[in-house]
Parts: sequence; C-alpha cells; structure tokens
Amino acid sequence: MSLYTNQLKHQSALNLIVYISGFLLFWEWLRPLKSFTDTGNISVFVLYAAFCFFLSYLQMPWYITSPLKLAGLVFVLDGLFIHVSLFSMDWYRMFFYDAAYNSQVIMEQEWWSMTPLFRSFLFLLLLWLLSYLLHYWFVIAKRTLFFVVLTFAYVAVVDTFTPYDGKASIIRVFLISMILLGITHYQRLLTSEKTAVPENRRPLRWILPLVALIFSSSVIGYAAPKFSPQWPDPVPFIRSLADNSGEGEGQGAFGQAVKKVGYGENDERLGGSFIQDDTVVFQAMVDEPQYWRIETKDFYTGKGWVRTVEENHVNSSDGQVVMDVFSSEVETEAKEAKVLFNPAQILPRLVYPYGTEQIQMIHPPGPFSYGKETGEILPDTEYTGERTMRYDIAFQEPNFTFKALRNVPAEDPEYIDELYTQLPEDLPSRVKQLAEEIVQDETTRYDQAKAIERYFQDPSFRYETEDIPVPDEDQDYVDQFLFETQKGYCDNFSTAMVVLLRSVDIPARWVKGFTAGEEVDAPVDLPSDTMEFYEVTNSNAHSWVEVYFPEIGWVPFEPTKGFTNMADFSTGLTLEELLEGSSDDEREEPEQELADAWNPVNPETEEESRANSFWNKFKWVLDGLWLIIIGILSLAAIFIYRYRYHLLTSIKRKQLGKQADPHAFEHAYQHLLSVLAYKGLKKEPDQTLREFALDVDTSLGTSDMKRLTHMYEQMIYRDQLEDGQMKKMRELWENLINRVLS
Amino acid sequence: MTQHTMIYHPTVGKLLKNIQKVMIGKDEVAELSLVALLAEGHVLLEDVPGVGKTMLVKSIARSVDCEFKRIQFTPDLLPSDVTGTSIYNPKELKFEFRPGPILGNIVLADEINRTSPKTQSALLEGMEEKSVTVDGKTIPLEKPFFVMATQNPIEYEGTYPLPEAQLDRFLLKLSMGYPSRQEEMDMLNRTSSQHPIETIESVITKDELIELQKQVLDVYVSVPVQQYIVELVSATRNHPYVYLGASPRGSIALMKAAKAYAFMHDRDYVVPDDVKYLAPFVLPHRMILSSEAQYDGKDEKGIIDEIIQQTKVPIDRGER
Repeated sequence: MSLYTNQLKHQSALNLIVYISGFLLFWEWLRPLKSFTDTGNISVFVLYAAFCFFLSYLQMPWYITSPLKLAGLVFVLDGLFIHVSLFSMDWYRMFFYDAAYNSQVIMEQEWWSMTPLFRSFLFLLLLWLLSYLLHYWFVIAKRTLFFVVLTFAYVAVVDTFTPYDGKASIIRVFLISMILLGITHYQRLLTSEKTAVPENRRPLRWILPLVALIFSSSVIGYAAPKFSPQWPDPVPFIRSLADNSGEGEGQGAFGQAVKKVGYGENDERLGGSFIQDDTVVFQAMVDEPQYWRIETKDFYTGKGWVRTVEENHVNSSDGQVVMDVFSSEVETEAKEAKVLFNPAQILPRLVYPYGTEQIQMIHPPGPFSYGKETGEILPDTEYTGERTMRYDIAFQEPNFTFKALRNVPAEDPEYIDELYTQLPEDLPSRVKQLAEEIVQDETTRYDQAKAIERYFQDPSFRYETEDIPVPDEDQDYVDQFLFETQKGYCDNFSTAMVVLLRSVDIPARWVKGFTAGEEVDAPVDLPSDTMEFYEVTNSNAHSWVEVYFPEIGWVPFEPTKGFTNMADFSTGLTLEELLEGSSDDEREEPEQELADAWNPVNPETEEESRANSFWNKFKWVLDGLWLIIIGILSLAAIFIYRYRYHLLTSIKRKQLGKQADPHAFEHAYQHLLSVLAYKGLKKEPDQTLREFALDVDTSLGTSDMKRLTHMYEQMIYRDQLEDGQMKKMRELWENLINRVLS
Repeated sequence: MTQHTMIYHPTVGKLLKNIQKVMIGKDEVAELSLVALLAEGHVLLEDVPGVGKTMLVKSIARSVDCEFKRIQFTPDLLPSDVTGTSIYNPKELKFEFRPGPILGNIVLADEINRTSPKTQSALLEGMEEKSVTVDGKTIPLEKPFFVMATQNPIEYEGTYPLPEAQLDRFLLKLSMGYPSRQEEMDMLNRTSSQHPIETIESVITKDELIELQKQVLDVYVSVPVQQYIVELVSATRNHPYVYLGASPRGSIALMKAAKAYAFMHDRDYVVPDDVKYLAPFVLPHRMILSSEAQYDGKDEKGIIDEIIQQTKVPIDRGER
C-alpha cells in the first residue's frame, strides 16, 4: 500500500514537471505574437494561460474549475476593456452589445471590424481550450511528441517569416521538449510495464541524469560549429512571388506603416502603403456612375491636410441642401440616387453626388446639418439615436461646358483667394517653378488646370499602393512625390495637383470621397430601368481636386493616374460642346417598392419605424447568433462523436467509483468491450469471454484482460464475487481502458 | 481448445497424470473420459482396433482402484453373459447368483455393435437403470459404475448398429485417433521392457471417487449458461440438415458434462466455454441427419460446429 501511495506521489511530481514544461512550451507560442500581430498586453494572456494550466493541474472537477476560469476571463476583460464596475448591469450590457455586434461582423466575414474586446475574449477562450487540450495530451494520453514537433515548426516559421528572432526560443523549446519527452516516455513505460518505482528511488534520481544529459547535449550543440544554412532564405523568393502575382496586394504583414484603405477623417499625415480592402461600404442605385463626395479640405501643411475654415453648419429638417458647389448658371439634369450603408461600415458623414439638392433620410428618418465650404453632411445622430443607414438623394447633375469654363472672369472672390491659395511657407521653391513651367503656354484657367492634370499622365509617374514613403520631418509630401518618388496613389496625385495649382494662384481644394464603385447585379428590383446598382468598397475610397472658376463654381478634376480623366466621373463633366444640349427626358418617379433590405421601413409613423429598425437589427443579430450556435453545436457534436468513448469512459469511471456494485461493474465491462470493438478488437458473438480475452491480451501484450474477465465471469456465471475483488477489478479495468484509449 | 484452462482440481489432476503415464498423446480423450466418469455418464469410443481403447479404460480402472471388467461382444453372446446368471449349487441345494461382467465398477464393452440387440439392451438397461434384473430379481449396480463401450466404424458386415434411442444413453461419444509419429516412438520406447500399465498404482479410492461425483452435482450453473445450453440443443432441432434433433436428455447431458468439466478445472460454476467445448462430444450422436446432409457431405460434428458458431454466447446476466 505504501508503495502504491509513494507511486502516486511520484507520479504527481512528474505530472507537475510535465505541466510546467507544457506551459513553458505554450508560452513560446505566445511570445512572438507581439512582433507580428498588434496584440498588446501579452503578459495578461500569459498569466491567464498559466492560471488555466494551474487549474488543470489541480485536477478538480469541471464544475469547480470552469467557473474559476470564467471568472478569470471576465476579470481580464474587465481590467483591459470595460471600465465600468464589474458588478453593474452596464458591464454585461456592454459585453453583450459588443458580442452581438461582433457576431454580426463575423457573419459578414469582416474580420478586421471585430472589436479588440471581442478578439481578446475569443483569444482567452482559445487559451482556455488549449489548456484543456494540452492537459489531455500531456497528462491523460501522455502524447507530447505532436505538440513538440508543432512548436518547433511554429518557432521556425515565425523566425523565418517575421521579424521575431527565434534563436533563443528554439533552444528553450529544445530543452523543455526533451525533458518533457523523457518524462512522458518514462511514465508510459511505467504504465505499460506496470512497474512501480521502489520506494527508495526518488523521482529526482531518475530525472537528474536526464536533465544533465539534455543540458550537456544542448550546450555541446550550441557551442559546436554548424553548417551555414543549406538553402537560401526563402523569404525574398516568396515575397517576389507575391509581388508578381496580380497587383501585389498580398503585401502588408512585412512592410512598415501599412494602412488599410478606406475613408478616414484624419489626413494630417499622408503617405505610407496600404492594403486593399474589398469590404462594401455602401450600395447605391443611380443612373450613371458618380463620384461620391464626402468633404473637402483647405489647408495644406506640407505633410497632409487639415481644415481651417470655420463655418456654421446649416441645419436642414426638410431635406433641402444648398451647397453652392457650382452656380445656377451651370446646366444641370435632375437625377436621383439611393444609398444604403453596410451596417458594419456606416460612415459619420453622408456620401452624395455633385449637385445634391435634397436628401431624404429613410432609415432612420431625421434632420441633418451640412457645411457649405467643407461639403460635409452630418446626420443628427443625437436625434435619431443611431447612424444613418439609408437615404435617398435628388440631385442636379452638372454639365460643364468648355465655353463657359474658358470664358470666366479673372477675378476670384476674396474669401476664395484667401482660403484656397494657401501654401506652406517652407514649400520648396522647385514646386512653384515646376508649376510655372507646366502652365506657361496656357492662357485660360481651364487650360492651365488641364495642363497640370495632364502633367501627371507622364510615364514617369506611377500608380502604386505599396512601398510609399511617409515624408520625413524636413520633407514636403508633395515635393517628395513630384521630385523623388514619383509614385503613389490618389492622395499623392490630388494633393500634388492642388499644390501646383495654388502655386500659380489658381484656387483649388482637396476633396475626399469614393469613386463610383463596381456595377453589380442588383439584389433587389431597381426602381427604374435606367438605374444601375453599384457596390462601393473601401478600396474605392478616393481623393481628387476641385478647381474654382468664377461665376461657375467648383469643378472637379482627376489627376490620379489610372483613373482616366473623368471617365469614372461622367456624372458631371460632359465637356464636349456637342453634348451641350443633351435632352432632358423626364423620368417617372420610382413607384415600385424596393426589396426589404432597401426599404426596411415605409415612412409611416416614427415609432413604428424605430421599432421596426430595432427588430431588423435584432433579427440580423439573431440570425448570426443562430448560425454561431449551430456552428458551436455541430462542433460540439463532432467533438462528442469523436471522443464518445473517452467521454463514456469517464462516466463509467465515475459510476464505478461511486457505487462499487456488480451492476456498475457489469456496465463498465460491457463498455470496455465496446471500446475494444471501436479500437478494432471486436468480440464475435460466438466467442466466449475467455477466448476473446485471450485475443485481447495477445494483441495488447498483457494478461489484464484475462484476469479481469475471470472476475467478470465469476460475477455473471457464478452470481457472486469474492470480497475485495471489486477494487482489483476497478484497477484492471482502469489499466485496460487507459491502454486501449491512449 | 484447452489452452486457457490448465488448472485442475487437485485429485482429478492426480488421476489424469496417472493415466497420462500410460496413454501417450491422448490427453484430450483421457480428460473427456474422466469428465464422463465424474458426471456418472458413460462413453462410447468409436475407433479402429489397436489405438489404445482398452489401455485407456484399464488405466482409469487401475488409477481409481476399482474393479475392472471387460465384455468382449460377439454375435453369440447372450444377455446372461453380461448380467450374470443363477447356477444350482448341489451342495447347498440352492441357486447361487454368479454375477456377470456388468457388475464391475468400470466396464469395457468392446465392439458393442457386434452383438445382438438383445444382448446390447441388457447392457444399456444396466447403464440407464443402474441395476440389472436376473431371474426376476433386481440387483443394483455398485457405485461407481462407468461403462466405456467401443465400436469399430469400418466393419458393417455382421454388425448391429446401436439404435438412436440407445445411443443417447452415452454421455459422450469420443474417438481416439492415431498417435503422431513422435508419440508412437515414445510408445515403443515405453513399452519395450515392461508395459507401463503394469506399474501404475491407484491414486484415489472408490469412495473418494464417489465423493468427487457428489461434489460435481454441486457445481453451479447460472441462468445465462442454462440458456446457452438450451439454445444450442434446440438449435439442433431447427437445423435444416437435421432430421431429428437432440432431445431434452441432450440438454441434461450437456449440463452434466459441463458441470464435471468445470469441476475438473477446479471451478464451482460452469462457464460458456465448458459448454462450447463439450457440445461436439455430447450432441452429435443424439441427432439424425437428413438425407440432404449426406448428399451435401455434412456430418454431425460439422453441423454442431456450425450451430456453435451461430449461437450467441451470453456475456451478461441477461436480466436487464
């Protein structure tokens, strides 16, 4: 008996070492995360992992450990993200609101939109699951090799492809994993040979030579001369492969200062590469492709754009917009558009085409305000309580004519001159020289602007989204682009054009918005035959130029290479005089009802529409939740099916432990038979138990089955059992079932 | 077959060892004969002459310290030659009973199928009733009583095959088979100077044997095992090749034999293995095959094997 308890002590000491090693190995997985993901607070996660490992080590029943782990998880989330008291309802409301939002995001596969809170939550869950998995691998199944190999592979890959230096890590992994393998092998030997370690042998005595051996061999290995790498570094090759494929969008993880493309409010520091992002921002129904305007900026800092113009926003409750972008003398054509934002991507400002006159907020209805100079239209979210998702626009598409543009008076209004010819004082003089060179042969403002616009079509300029530098402290953004890099994307081209225009005293401003997007098959019935359906993604975010023409107003120009001059912008600029008098055919009002997504609410009573919108949102979340629940359930089902014998075994084990009666044992034995059958040792119906036991023992190399069967036979064929056999039986049963399942 | 149970009841083990001194390579037959002996049953040995049938019976008789009798059956043998007869004693002026060979403890009935049915039935009646009737008087047979009958399967000329009803008086039907070359060599060596049968001595007494037979009756047969026995026996009645299946007496015989077998292996309960092992010795001579079986080249043993294969062994208490 004392031998047995000593054995247990011995085993648990070894188990502790296994746990610690497992945790250290796992730590090696977490270490590099900082260097190639934007995971902060690694130490918190490591602590949580340690906590989970420790709880697994204690081997307490799940109904104790699970609440503890959950509490730890909540505690971490509270400390990191939710700055509300943990004991208030707000905490949980915030958490569930966040979870609902994220499940919706997941449904739409917009992984990047997930909030840090939810990502951390998932990550902590992952840590929890992994701690259990490793517990199972290491301590129950005593199979560590797979994880060790995986860890080596992981460190090697991370070292090769990321800035992380895995040199120290790989040595640590080697040391830990060798000790781990040694111990688990030793444990398995003990089990399979059923040897007990004599009392006078302490585990340390056995472990010490192992540790000494591993340390000495790794020291020798570290110090010994080694071959240099036998194959060239694969990274440049893979990178060049990625660059050559398509537009090279794959870049990103390795570069510095990589941004995601899309509409952003801060333009103070332009430059840097970005990666494409095809998330749909909004969908639009409109006759012809339109540039979607959002706002303008007036002040160029040398690094980017800020807004200095101060104006009072005009409130509009009836939907009227009087933007005065161009004067009433410009010929226009009445048109309509409908916009629906992607709920996960709603922008704070509305997008609208040139010539917008009237905006009807459909969902949610409410007033808005707009700025004449900045061109921004801000829905009143305080009134509606949520961001605007859908609205209809009535606009007058302008028709600029050469004639008019060439015959404008020379004098600009004073405030225009003041605001829109601003340049930084330290703008290098060569920019101005260049601008003068470009426009020297042109006489009219229009031709000058055209010349500057054309200048960027020169082959020396290249459209690129990668490897675009951010100007240094002493560099000017435009200067760098014009004279050094000559490659860039819309921001480079448009900013440079504005600066060149201002250098020759032509008032110009910088406009942000989206290009027309891609025409796709409409998912709903379109209100009229002439309308087309467009999907505008983050990749369509764009910036361009507006030039001021007295008596006409602001006229858009498109300097960016690849965005053929106004071709995508055909809404506005029909520059051919031939087209001057193009017919205005009257269009009927769209009476047809739109499909649900497009028309969630009829402008009935406000209350109803609110309720409806809530319900829609809720439904959306519910749909997502359902899918997630089904997913989790099916995963659970797969897991249960895969590990059904393990799970059943633990149930039987518990029953055996609780009630040591023949009935429980009979069940347990029958279960053993089914486990054996599952593992390929099936008892034929005509086989007697003895014959089968002989088969089993032969294939397992034991005599346990025979002994166990002998006891079982006494139980069922003799209807009685000698005293004290129950315990022995349980032991044999444990041995066998562990052996078969491992 | 017996590889997994080599534990023997100490006394039976001694007995078996003693027999093995004489019988080389005939462990199974020896063991099965002892099963019949312990179960108070009788054995029918079907085999060619000269393979050691007599030697087997003799060695059993000597080991038990019993009276051994032999009846050589011939066509002209009379029932009284078996049971014994009363002879007038002129001195005492009365008839005196001269007991026949059946009144021994262990009886070898050699070539039982060569005698007339009348004589056969004299023997078989004794086996069944454990008594003989001579001149209107019933004389009980002494215990233990164990008959080992032999018959020669190759001679049909002038034989009287035992009727089915009488065949099932035998608990087991065995055959010796030829020894292997090595066994035959050993046999030559061992018998060259003096036959070992002359040297063996009894290891248990008659009373001890009777005691053992009593103990066999106490061996426990659980419900699942009983069910298994019944399943097997009733399967012989439903088999398409079988004209007449084994009777309920067959079930009883199988259980008795299994009890003795379990006892022999030092167990006080029967396991399905015992039944499964013994069925091919207990059941075949209790059934009559249809003529189709003969066309298809099937024999009783093959059919029993088939039945065993198709019958599920009970592995739980069956009460759930």
